[in-house]
Amino acid sequence: MNLISGIDLSAGALAAQKTRLDIVAQNIANAQTTRTAKGGPYQRQVVSFETEMVRTQGATGGGLQGIRVAQVTTDRSPGQQVYNPQHPDASADGLVTMPNVNLSQEMVDLITASRTYEANLSVVKNARQMAMRTLEIGK
Amino acid sequence: MLPVGSVNPLLSAASPLAKIDAPLPKMPGVHLGAAGPVPAEGFGRMLDGLVASVDAKQVEAQAITKRVLLGDSDQLHQSVIAMQEAGVSFSLMVEVRNKLIESYQELMRMQV
Repeated sequence: MNLISGIDLSAGALAAQKTRLDIVAQNIANAQTTRTAKGGPYQRQVVSFETEMVRTQGATGGGLQGIRVAQVTTDRSPGQQVYNPQHPDASADGLVTMPNVNLSQEMVDLITASRTYEANLSVVKNARQMAMRTLEIGK
Repeated sequence: MLPVGSVNPLLSAASPLAKIDAPLPKMPGVHLGAAGPVPAEGFGRMLDGLVASVDAKQVEAQAITKRVLLGDSDQLHQSVIAMQEAGVSFSLMVEVRNKLIESYQELMRMQV
């Protein structure tokens, strides 16, 4: 019994945006991290999404295209070099390689993820309202 | 909480409503619509299935919410969505029940 149509799609989208938010949080948290387990400064992570066939619909033909996180990749662009000879991770000439995290870019990503999450929540809310309104026919 | 499926007075054999399921009495010379075989699965069986699936949704929502509350899962939206789905299907069940009771009372008011 599936009363609220398209809810699986929205749930998948919500999960995907939540993952994106987690990755943004990780990037912002590690904006100053100069030492990682792999060695070298922290490198920014980027999320990409892909479609996912949720289920085939009988009447309308084609299946519904859901969304899931395809992969989390590493941004390989070089980090900023800062002159700071006191830093334990400074090279011989006193330069420290900072992470390639750009805070303004992360904030834009954060807002986009948040707004997309809100949009999907509106879809869920409206789908539920439609089902409840339909049930009010009998009243 | 008592599971919804366990309280089902409509389906107990002692209830007069169980007789709604009974096939119509055959009258000689009268053909009611298409004279097909009486389906093995009555309306009561279907209603039982509806109640069972609504109950399953409630149990599922409870399980997901429990997982979120215990910290095993961080899928908060899945919990809320499951609860809403359970609520909507419960409303559907209540609507069906209301309609059934209404038609039963209509029958009882009939002049003989």
